[in-house]
Amino acid sequence: MDQSLIRNFSIIAHIDHGKSTLADRILEVTKAVSEREMRSQVLDSMDLERERGITIKAQAVRVAYTARDGRTYQLNLIDTPGHVDFSYEVSRSLAACEGALLVVDASQGIQAQTLANTYLAIEGDLEIVPVLNKIDLPAAEPELHARAVADLIGDDPDRVLRISAKTGAGVTEVLEAIVERMPPPAGDPDGPARALIFDSVYDQYRGVVAFIRVVDGVFRKGDKMRAMQTGLTVTAEEIGVMAPAMTPTGELGAGETGYVVTGLKDIGDLRVGDTLTLASAPAPEPLPGYREVKPMVFCGLFPVDSDEYPELRDALEKLSLNDASLQWEPETSQALGFGFRCGFLGLLHMDIVRERLEREYDLELLATTPNVEYRVTLTTGEVIAVRSPSELPHPSKIEKIEEPYVRCTVLVPQDGVGAVMGLCQDRRGVFVTMEPIEQRQQIVYDLPLAEIVLDFYDQLKSRTAGYASLDYELMGERESPLVKLDILLAGEPVDALSMIVHRDHAYTRGKVLVEKLRGTIPRQMFEVAVQAAIGGKIIARETVKARRKDVLAKCYGGDISRKRKLLERQKEGKKRMKQVGRVEVPQEAFLAVLEIGEGAGGKK
Amino acid sequence: MNVRHLYLHLPFCASRCGYCAFVVEVGGYDRRDAYLEAVLAELDLERPRLGPLETVYMGGGTPTLMRPSRIAALVERLGPLLADGAEVTVEANPETIDQAALRALLKAGVTRLSFGGQSFQPHLLRALDRGATPDQVRRAVLYARGLGFPSVSLDMLFGVPGQTRDDLERDLAEVVRIEPDHVSWYELELKPGSALAARGATLDEDFAEDAYARIVERLEQAGYHWYETANFAWPGHECRHSLAYWTARDYLGLGVGAVSTVGGVRWRNAPGVDRYVAALGRGEAPARSREDLDEDTRRRERWMLGLRLDRPLDVAWAGPPDRPDALARLADLGLVENGGGTVTLTRDGRFVQNTILNELMESW
Repeated sequence: MDQSLIRNFSIIAHIDHGKSTLADRILEVTKAVSEREMRSQVLDSMDLERERGITIKAQAVRVAYTARDGRTYQLNLIDTPGHVDFSYEVSRSLAACEGALLVVDASQGIQAQTLANTYLAIEGDLEIVPVLNKIDLPAAEPELHARAVADLIGDDPDRVLRISAKTGAGVTEVLEAIVERMPPPAGDPDGPARALIFDSVYDQYRGVVAFIRVVDGVFRKGDKMRAMQTGLTVTAEEIGVMAPAMTPTGELGAGETGYVVTGLKDIGDLRVGDTLTLASAPAPEPLPGYREVKPMVFCGLFPVDSDEYPELRDALEKLSLNDASLQWEPETSQALGFGFRCGFLGLLHMDIVRERLEREYDLELLATTPNVEYRVTLTTGEVIAVRSPSELPHPSKIEKIEEPYVRCTVLVPQDGVGAVMGLCQDRRGVFVTMEPIEQRQQIVYDLPLAEIVLDFYDQLKSRTAGYASLDYELMGERESPLVKLDILLAGEPVDALSMIVHRDHAYTRGKVLVEKLRGTIPRQMFEVAVQAAIGGKIIARETVKARRKDVLAKCYGGDISRKRKLLERQKEGKKRMKQVGRVEVPQEAFLAVLEIGEGAGGKK
Repeated sequence: MNVRHLYLHLPFCASRCGYCAFVVEVGGYDRRDAYLEAVLAELDLERPRLGPLETVYMGGGTPTLMRPSRIAALVERLGPLLADGAEVTVEANPETIDQAALRALLKAGVTRLSFGGQSFQPHLLRALDRGATPDQVRRAVLYARGLGFPSVSLDMLFGVPGQTRDDLERDLAEVVRIEPDHVSWYELELKPGSALAARGATLDEDFAEDAYARIVERLEQAGYHWYETANFAWPGHECRHSLAYWTARDYLGLGVGAVSTVGGVRWRNAPGVDRYVAALGRGEAPARSREDLDEDTRRRERWMLGLRLDRPLDVAWAGPPDRPDALARLADLGLVENGGGTVTLTRDGRFVQNTILNELMESW
């Protein structure tokens, strides 16, 4: 294939700004799928993706487009995830491209996430084609947003395309701009073969399938390939392109994008960002930019019914086949029994994994408070990583604790500035800068990641009526005066409810948490003390009174079946409880911890 | 078949009370005769199931709105079916009867009256949309006893929104003073569909717990026997019809919305007076929903009902609980007493029956 006729591009867009609709329209216009096959949003194939309107795994689709210059181009659309948790996957997708479409909703303008991904694209030297979508909406303000988008990428407002992916208006102009403005790939077709793995999936029948962008040389079916980071050698059992269904082509040359079937069983063997080369004639250097993806958020996952532990293990194993960033290891909790401590890229990732476990594997799970990884220096000089409050050593053995910080960028209309700054201050934020972008303010704060993983995003949305958008990046660790807050039920510490908090917040959080728990834990056969303690010292106490009656409904001939149903409902309710020592604790109690940031700042 | 217990549903009411979610007909008095005919027709259809009737219970609705003449006609038709010493109860709203009416009921063969009092506090009666004044309630009980009804019962409620501890004490003092033979004292339930629920009323759990304990304490002190969860009686005045339910005996219910349980089958007549009358006019049974009770369900119901009573439950009669080992644990908690082959709830246990039942049974 002549590289000058190839264009590899991504679409950068905020959730709901129309990325998937535009992608669908491109497939339609280029006749890659017939209208009859056209399932809405072909690219987002996982159910959860479709429901939440987000893309989790990146994918690549090849279409042929005959441009106005009469030549037929091979366009490879490389889809990118649209959420901050998956920013590494975004950066790898972008690294496989020479250009990017920046799609912005003509009524809403640029959002923080778009901004972050646009900077990634600019840093990666991509040619950016700006597109205002949804110009058919009454609230659209194309002129205003065109100027802002042009400012952002240093382009002329007149070159900002105005389209409606929904109606199809302007979509051909987008395709023309891709061909005209974006450069073709510039790899060495005759050099030692190198390809970037920008995504991989596990297929039950074919093993690991890697999505690759060939930079130099050519890969053929049957080639022995080597993954340069892991050092693993593997045979290319099949090579082809997504059109959009998997279509074998036998080879992929420089500049092309497609897939390789490997038969490998472990997706961790072919990692996103790794470079493939030929084992027989290896390239001397891998492609730049590989880094190991590290989980940032951890929580314990426990089956509500402890008999389901083996099922949970199987389910995690299966999910891991397709998700190399999901980490897990067995964990034992005194309160919750056997479970797993899991590591996630971020909160959304955690939610998605939990939801998939519950929905696809029919498991009922209890999740403990999410927390971050702390670096703890002991008095002996030894440094340990703490991913769970129960791993935190006794204070007398701790020299210092460091916690991860993130730089948070929030875009918000002027009248939301106070609310955002208030929230950031409450959450131990350190102000960095504020500057206007379009008609909004870009506020930058440095915040402990631990404060974000609670309910920061929800609070941000609710305090700004949904107008604020958020992006953050990890910026290393800082020392903080942190303590472990223990919760005791009926005098027994419940490890699954303990948390690591800033010393100055410990008292308020403890108080709010025991109040929340008192409201969540139903009355038992006996009185239950709910206490918060730091280092053995009780700092707050509430009491769940004993249940003294539950039977008063009358029960005559017409009531008997109804009464039985009532008992059955009560029994079902009890099944969803977890027995913690003598106390029955409902699932919501473990989530109460998530909501206490609210009260801790003293503001509503 | 040999059913000994009969329930008759008389659905007519002058208005719907705020807490009510029963099958009632507001107004429609011109259909009372037609309805009575229909009930008698259903009785004829079901007659083969009946043995000598030990108890008959006429509930509503407001049965006394049928006027004594119609009730007398009903009791007369039932006459040949009644066993010796049968208990014949009629529910009555104090504001709907006078001395003449009470005399007529007594003469017709009614042996037991159950008055809907609910409270003696005017503001609570208003909150419940009750039509009677405290004085009408008081007089109804006293007249009925004076006339020589063998047994007079009074229904009371607690947990009414707005009820204070003093209100409850005044109600207790009043009940103890007028001394009905039998008292049913229920906690107000906010049933979906009732006007109180629609008004957004809420119940105070703490108050209700204290109130329940206090009612039991005060009535026992006055000599009443706490023989069922929410029922109190002077010795010998326990409601035999209700005891039939609580000992899981078969019963036949006639009329709209009435439920029957016979030989492991439970059915409920559909609501709606017009359709009921029309069906029986054609000589057909009314529309019914049917539930088959398997042996496990019947065994569990025997426990559910039997443990409401203060008398020991005979395990050989009821069948074993799903989790026999739970009995020892519950005994350790002081909630049940295990006799030789019997189980009795302790005083503490009687207050938390549902919890105990769910400890004993796997499902319902």
